[in-house]
Amino acid sequence: MGHGVELLAALNLRTLPEQLANGIFLGAIYALIALGYTMVYGILRLINFAHGEVYMLGAYVSLFASRMLGFGPTSNKTDSSVVNLLIMLTASMIVCACVGVIIERFAYRPMRAHSRIASLITAIGVSLLLQYGGALFLPSSPPPSINEKVIPPVYRESSRIVLQAPPAELQRDLDSTQTIYLDAKKKYDFYMSTHQGVGEFDLAPDGQALHDKYKASLAPFNAAQAKADERSVVITVRHADIIILVTSVVLMGVLTYLVMFTKSGRAMRAVSHDFDSAALMGVNVNNTITFTFVLGSALAGAGSMMQATLKGPPLTTFFGFTPGVKAFVAAVLGGIGNIPGAVLGGLLMGVAEDFVIWLGYSNYSDAIAFVILIIVLLFRPGGILGSSKVEKV
Amino acid sequence: MSLLQVQQLTIRFGGLTAVSQVTFDIAPGQLFGLIGPNGAGKTTCFNMITGVYKPTSGSIRFDGKAITGTPCNRIAGLGIARTFQNIRLFPALSVLENVVVGGFLRHKTTLTSSLAYLPSAIRETDAMKADAMKLLEVLDLQDVAHVRSADLPYGKQRRLEIARAMATQPKLLLLDEPAAGMNPNEKVDLMNAVKRLRDEHGKTVLVIEHDMRFVMNLCEQIFVLDHGEEIAQGPPEQIRNDPKVIAAYLGTPV
Amino acid sequence: MFWPKRIASIAIGIGACFLIQAVAGKMFDFYGLRLVALAGLYVTLAVSLNLINGITGQFSIGHAAFYQIGAYFTGYLSIHYFAAGAGKVGGPVVWLIAMMIVGALGATIAGFVVGLPSLRLRGDYLAIVTLGFGEILRIIVQNQEALGGAYAMKDIPTIQSLWLVWALAFLCIAVCRNLLKTARGLTFVAVREDEVASAAMGVDVTKVKITAFMVGSAFAGAAGALLAHYEGLITPQTFAMDVSFIILTMVVLGGTGSITGSVVAAIFLSYLPEYLRNLKAPDGGTLYVTGATCLQWMLTIFAAVVLIRWISRSLQFPLVQRLGLYAAAVVGALVIGKLLGFGVNLISGLAAIQIDAGQLRMAIFAVALISVMLIRPQGIFAHHELSLTWLRGLVSRKRPAEVSA
Repeated sequence: MGHGVELLAALNLRTLPEQLANGIFLGAIYALIALGYTMVYGILRLINFAHGEVYMLGAYVSLFASRMLGFGPTSNKTDSSVVNLLIMLTASMIVCACVGVIIERFAYRPMRAHSRIASLITAIGVSLLLQYGGALFLPSSPPPSINEKVIPPVYRESSRIVLQAPPAELQRDLDSTQTIYLDAKKKYDFYMSTHQGVGEFDLAPDGQALHDKYKASLAPFNAAQAKADERSVVITVRHADIIILVTSVVLMGVLTYLVMFTKSGRAMRAVSHDFDSAALMGVNVNNTITFTFVLGSALAGAGSMMQATLKGPPLTTFFGFTPGVKAFVAAVLGGIGNIPGAVLGGLLMGVAEDFVIWLGYSNYSDAIAFVILIIVLLFRPGGILGSSKVEKV
Repeated sequence: MSLLQVQQLTIRFGGLTAVSQVTFDIAPGQLFGLIGPNGAGKTTCFNMITGVYKPTSGSIRFDGKAITGTPCNRIAGLGIARTFQNIRLFPALSVLENVVVGGFLRHKTTLTSSLAYLPSAIRETDAMKADAMKLLEVLDLQDVAHVRSADLPYGKQRRLEIARAMATQPKLLLLDEPAAGMNPNEKVDLMNAVKRLRDEHGKTVLVIEHDMRFVMNLCEQIFVLDHGEEIAQGPPEQIRNDPKVIAAYLGTPV
Repeated sequence: MFWPKRIASIAIGIGACFLIQAVAGKMFDFYGLRLVALAGLYVTLAVSLNLINGITGQFSIGHAAFYQIGAYFTGYLSIHYFAAGAGKVGGPVVWLIAMMIVGALGATIAGFVVGLPSLRLRGDYLAIVTLGFGEILRIIVQNQEALGGAYAMKDIPTIQSLWLVWALAFLCIAVCRNLLKTARGLTFVAVREDEVASAAMGVDVTKVKITAFMVGSAFAGAAGALLAHYEGLITPQTFAMDVSFIILTMVVLGGTGSITGSVVAAIFLSYLPEYLRNLKAPDGGTLYVTGATCLQWMLTIFAAVVLIRWISRSLQFPLVQRLGLYAAAVVGALVIGKLLGFGVNLISGLAAIQIDAGQLRMAIFAVALISVMLIRPQGIFAHHELSLTWLRGLVSRKRPAEVSA
């Protein structure tokens, strides 16, 4: 207990809003993956163990797409545009959708007549095959990452959102030092751009004066900034994260439309409710299941494309396993089979994970996911948005 | 002194009242029938007596003791055994082995003696197999003792379920539609077998059935259930002529 | 008459273990001996998992957790107390036996904890929870400096007793076999077949499930103790989820519910990757296969599985003809594979990738698992056992029910 109190005292509560925001950005990706799990479970009562690997493949597709667009590891291109990102996104979503359909058709459909545990074991087999089989063919050592130059420059920047402004004097200091700094920087940059080929260390006297003024203005500005930060609440948000959130929301909106307002979506909901009745009502169950896998896998592909491109992690074929597990827990937490539940669960898992890291227990963040899973399954298997009934054996 | 006393038994599932205020007594050694149209609540009553469901209100007394709400794995120990409407055998086990599982309750073996295959476990297992064989003979299944129970014809599977239930040495036997799917000859055999269980083995039997002729010929006391409520109770002749019963069944001449 | 026979069979069993140790000592080098030991450990692991999964029908797929508890717990004790204690108990082997018991006890407590959810959860949910427990354990252990952290627990006194490894395996097989010969064992199978009916017959379903978990985990814990002392060094990676999946593959391939199947599959699947790793290229160096060849094999196997499934599903032929058709299917798949191989080799990137045989290990397990599930989900041996009764049955054409065989 004492340890906990110390812990809380050491936390900088000022960073809480930013942590929360980071958690939501992380959770958006988990939500996209969780949607795939929840839809497949809703319709087939199958835990699609291989979903994390479909996610992983999306990252590799994005990698290869970025290379084909000219942004390989040794590229010098610096002018990328949103179009490139959209191409990568589309490619990733399409390929993942195809992979998902192939897995369903050849690994899961034959198992439908058998027990659910048989399907689960098959799913585990597919997951292992994609991870280890993939490791044979896909570049993973050293783990490649997507060249960040494929991201248009404006998305690589961050913005500061001031939630609570600092006290007036500090703000004044900040403003004044910032003006001096920006002015000096502008003059220096202009000088450097009109004197091509001159290095920082062999400047003429007038250039040297501008350089020194620029450098001198930096320290007071930083100091004023730090002082102001101590007395204000600011979130630094990367534009990339905003893109992730916006794209996720758009995709979820499209999904909701498809599920609620189209014939295929209605068929999905019918089959989730009652497999046999839906078939008797003329629903083509196989096509509906295929459609479900298309949607779920495409969303996972979108998630991995964004994660791999905008956050730039190193890719291995085992890259999808942990997010897959966490997203599965998210789906269960929100209520497996329940689409809004998956979104809610994803956000909660993202925030929870961020919280755990913030508290300093990042080593245990994977274990926490499993702990949450076990608690939910034992005490409220329906999840937050599901029923609280424990199903009898 | 009745063996089974059911009083005001009621159960509600959400907004639906499946069984309401059911009351009957079964005397020791009686052959008692519970009949009613489909969905009347007969199996629900069975499930409450055997602890699968907990009644919303009402009481069940067995052999003088209250057993309302006792969990289902303790019911057999108290002396009530049942068969199931959709046969629930142990498919991978042989006929004999199915019955041995039923008899496990009444024999004592320790875990260690089983894991180590000690003489005490061997003795008990052999004794259980012998007892099981005797029960198979009661129900005329001794010829198929080593056949896999999933491979049995339907009629024999039903008899096997009864043999297995008998192995728990019950005082009260609950049979859920034991004659379903049988041809007339098999039904006669079954009827005689059930009568033998009472006459030669002292069992009290509560039967759910649809086949009116079967019930009328077998049972001494009948309780008619419709929409979860009693509509008649009494000996066969009385039930046969009861207009309410006839109306509920849309008139089945017996 | 019982005790003399029993003591004689125990003596024969232990004698066989010493024989294995002697023969292996003559035939194999250090590396080969280790393989024989690992095979023995996997036999114990597979048979003990089969008790939980195959015989009692509970889906536990985190079995490596119990293995890990036995290993780390006894490893820790040995590091700290072996020097002082070994002499007192009568030597390293006695110490090792004591450690096996300790490991079993530790693991069985965990088995109890892991078994509790099985009372409320069904099939796939239970499987995920058992997997979760395994991972939580692994992560906790990984973060304990006292246990070597993420690196290794080393300097465990090495006691490489091959006969003891196989004695444990024989014991595990015997115990499971014994259980199935008694009425109590039948209640385990009954719980697998139909829990509701079992409960209605007065079987204490809770006790059966928990017992299965505890006995299964105890053997895994004892195996863990043996592993730790054989290798002298254990890392959390040794007990990663993959190991649970490997054991699961062995049980599934062999046949859930078949002790014989688990034994055969465990020996086969623990030997296979090592066999591959030892394959040498014609010039004596490491054997490499190209990415293209790998892909070609995968496509061949895929084609074979599809064809065999098609045959078994749509054509109703008696057994002998079906086997012939399967053989034809395999040949057909090889042909298809060859043809596809030409195309695959054209993809430049693939032909350039060099894969050494050792890397194929987990991919082979994955392919094996999927293929078994698609072609014969009940496993090679299904629920059959190799036993005297069965052999007699083969000869005399009578078919006794399999479980009591």
